[in-house]
Amino acid sequence: MLRIGRGGATVTTTAAPPTKGPAAADRAPRSVPAWRRGLRPYLLSIPAVLIIVGILYPFALGAYYAFLNYAAVVPRPSFVGFENFAEVLSDPAFWTSVRVTLFYAVAATVIETALGIGIALLLNRSSLIGRIFEKVLILPLMIAPVIAGVIWGLMFNPQFGVLNHVLGLGSTFNWLGEHTALWSVVLVDVWIFTPFVAILVLAGIRSLPKEPFEASAVDGAGWVYTFRRLMLPMIWPYILVAVIFRFMDCLKIFDHVYVLTAGGPGDATRTLQIGAYQNSIVNLNYSQGSTYMFLLWVIVFLTARYLVSVLGKAQRRAAGSEE
Amino acid sequence: MGSLSVTGLTARYGKTVALHGIDLDLADGEFFVILGPSGAGKTTTLKSVAGLVDGARGEIRIAGRDMTGVEPYDRGVAMAFESYALYPQKTVEENLASPLRSGRHGTWTPAQQAERIKEVTTTLGIDHLLARYPRELSNGQRQRTALGRVLVRPAEVYLLDEPLSHLDAKLRAAMRAELKQLGELSGTTTLYVTHDYQEALALGDRIGVLREGRLVQVGTPAQVWTEPVDTFVARALGQPEMNLLDAAVEGGLARVGQAFAVGVPVRTHDSVRVGIRPRDLEVVDGPPPTDRLVLQGRVVLAERLGRSVELSVDVAGVSVIAVTSDHRVHEGDAVTLAVDWSRVHVFAGPDAADADAADPDAAAPGARLGAARRPANAALAGGAR
Amino acid sequence: MAARELGPGQRKFSPASVGADAALLVWFVFSLFPLVWMVLLALKTDAEQISTYFAFTPTLENFVTVLSAEGTRLTSVDFTQAILTSVIQCVGAVLVSLVIGIPAAYAAGRWQYKGSNDVMFTILSFRFAPELMVIVPLFVIYNQLGLFDTNVGMIWVLQLVTMPLIVWILRSYFQDMPAELEQAALLDGYTRRRAFVMVALPLVRPGIAAAALLAFIFAWNNYVFPLILTGSQHTPVTVAVTRFLGGGGQAYYNLTAAAALIAALPPLLVALSIQRYLVRGLSFGAVKS
Repeated sequence: MLRIGRGGATVTTTAAPPTKGPAAADRAPRSVPAWRRGLRPYLLSIPAVLIIVGILYPFALGAYYAFLNYAAVVPRPSFVGFENFAEVLSDPAFWTSVRVTLFYAVAATVIETALGIGIALLLNRSSLIGRIFEKVLILPLMIAPVIAGVIWGLMFNPQFGVLNHVLGLGSTFNWLGEHTALWSVVLVDVWIFTPFVAILVLAGIRSLPKEPFEASAVDGAGWVYTFRRLMLPMIWPYILVAVIFRFMDCLKIFDHVYVLTAGGPGDATRTLQIGAYQNSIVNLNYSQGSTYMFLLWVIVFLTARYLVSVLGKAQRRAAGSEE
Repeated sequence: MGSLSVTGLTARYGKTVALHGIDLDLADGEFFVILGPSGAGKTTTLKSVAGLVDGARGEIRIAGRDMTGVEPYDRGVAMAFESYALYPQKTVEENLASPLRSGRHGTWTPAQQAERIKEVTTTLGIDHLLARYPRELSNGQRQRTALGRVLVRPAEVYLLDEPLSHLDAKLRAAMRAELKQLGELSGTTTLYVTHDYQEALALGDRIGVLREGRLVQVGTPAQVWTEPVDTFVARALGQPEMNLLDAAVEGGLARVGQAFAVGVPVRTHDSVRVGIRPRDLEVVDGPPPTDRLVLQGRVVLAERLGRSVELSVDVAGVSVIAVTSDHRVHEGDAVTLAVDWSRVHVFAGPDAADADAADPDAAAPGARLGAARRPANAALAGGAR
Repeated sequence: MAARELGPGQRKFSPASVGADAALLVWFVFSLFPLVWMVLLALKTDAEQISTYFAFTPTLENFVTVLSAEGTRLTSVDFTQAILTSVIQCVGAVLVSLVIGIPAAYAAGRWQYKGSNDVMFTILSFRFAPELMVIVPLFVIYNQLGLFDTNVGMIWVLQLVTMPLIVWILRSYFQDMPAELEQAALLDGYTRRRAFVMVALPLVRPGIAAAALLAFIFAWNNYVFPLILTGSQHTPVTVAVTRFLGGGGQAYYNLTAAAALIAALPPLLVALSIQRYLVRGLSFGAVKS
């Protein structure tokens, strides 16, 4: 406690502040006008904005290409309006790509979400095995998708790939055949990205307050009821975040699909980005590829806006239910 | 020298206006306390003086110098934050050394720094904690470290933001006494902010009551206590709060229900409120005194709180709270209470504004109209027998 | 033994939990088997790579071969060079993003200035935009500017990957930082720049490390940018691994496996070191664990 004037002790004056301290320059304070202070955040952000502009420029250029007839064989392109769009939108190959991409995105997202939630719930129990597994859960996620594709490609090999051997499918079952390829690449996506959903949902579960669940257990509520009515609404925003990230990423999937099938056989796995790649880089038909991408970008943009608004609603509802 | 003057200080955060034009004039060495509930704008006022609020406008002069546009590090103010704001990765010693190392408060050699830190921490009783980190300290120790960071360096003005609010009641009372001594010793102009009226009364040379961004009353503790400018200020000081009893006015007399009547100052409205502080009401034995307002009633509730007893008394249907040290009173007893006439306040009723909208001299709702008077007719004083 | 308190929705040990553990086991066999298989394959000699499954004599030769000139001759892939290239490009990209992103994240997190949300969401949109939309014009531009197949060119493009991550994660850390610490530093006499360095940076240092390392992982694992914008001189490991199996001649599955493992190792190690911050990082600061 303070020792000033306590019980007859001498009052110390050490609490008195030093006047200006030793060797202090006595200068009048500088005045900085308010507008200069307001400029600060903008100054700090200038480099980032420059980079943004630097990146937006190729984007804009790419969008612009869709309105030209730019290709390696047409080095000086001219404006062709919506001709490319008409051509692409009437090309059955484009619609096949759309179908393939949407199928892939929906299948992968649905499976990963279901499995991810399940894994998160299973890991939520404080079991020894659970804690060990949690450490290695993210391994597939950290591997480059293209390398995952290489690995699975080796496993898919009909003659000496290990899958046919271990599952007893003989040496002719073709994982990447006409009817199986799309499911196989979805399988690889599930292998890589389910952990993403799982750790997000698990983090959400772990951030929930304990009390409602303790109360529900005391009330004798069953597990299914507790999950459906109590936990699910509260972790819904986390699930949605995972779904948004997964679905949007699936729309532009490229890496492992390309290395496994290059879009084949035929166009069984030709997603939109692979289609764009084949047009632009393989066929050097820049404008056609750009049209693909422009259309994909429109899909992505609209989907993003819709999903983000759904997420906003879910977050508000979850926040309200935490009263 | 180290004076502080604030003129027309307004502050806004985005669209909300936090301060509506605050004026303060602190003499050199004055210990000024701003008292107000949370959200009143106390912290905003302090931070505006320190130059930490971008949306603040108005003139602030420290030691006579205009501080418009001056950065916080050039203003010569030291502030103790309510959250203490101690640097988590620095020890207590390094926290206190920080202002000495910045170069803006003089150049200190390491030896001089160590000596000064030792002085301050010894005074505050934390010299044994120099090597600890903030997370290892108790709230009281953190508070004293934050104070130490203020005291260690020269400053024209100290700004203290609710330094005692996170301490338990006993510690708070003890620290209050020590802050008083510290304040007297250092002699530095201090602007102290709190929601606790006891701190305000004990520490302040003057008190300013802040309500929703406006200074409602400024005065010495005695002034604010005995002549509150309106019911808000009256209720802000004192625990339990002042009794505010509605009364209808008729012919110069305000009648509080069936209980009693008091004489009121001229120029009053139809409805007023009579204010009496619970501690001003005294339990009397024997015949009721004639030179004071007397209330007679029955004790409904008696709460014993250590030395004093808090009584809830029913006076002819009107509920009155009184605090007494007389322990002989029990629930159900008939009791006689007396209070000096000078301690009976009359406030304008809450609907006053409607009644006198056209009258520029009319008092605002809740404004204090003056002290009550003994009514001319003695027989009207007193309550139910 | 002290009893552990249960978290939300947790139940005590019961017969159902054995079933749950079994279900987890199934997933983890599925999850880890390909990796285990890769390791086995990488340890096989040329002769055994296609003739055996689980019974073989392991050898570490493949790792050596992959990294040596011998491997380059056999597969026409200079893997050591590729590793070096990956390191240069990824570290470079992360450094650039940090230098540019930290001030921007600070400005957006500390002051929500007008337009900060627009800037942030534009940066976020880079994350979801299809890469080829940028690559096609860049392919043309880079060829014109001579940036094709260069480290600088790749570092620039990788900003599309590293900057959104770093800026969003760090903004969320700066938002969480109490403003009063910097204010105290200002009153102590430090200028805003010194207060930032002295107070703010140390507080967000774990966030910076996590964001930088996560961005490194994503830059390292990137495939489509180098596939199109690099040639033979400055290809990173992701593209290099795929070249092991391309073209005619003998397919060296064991070498491929060895190379794939080497390529996958740095991100794995980095991920293990920032495990605590993964959730916040992967969700761009949206989810705090």
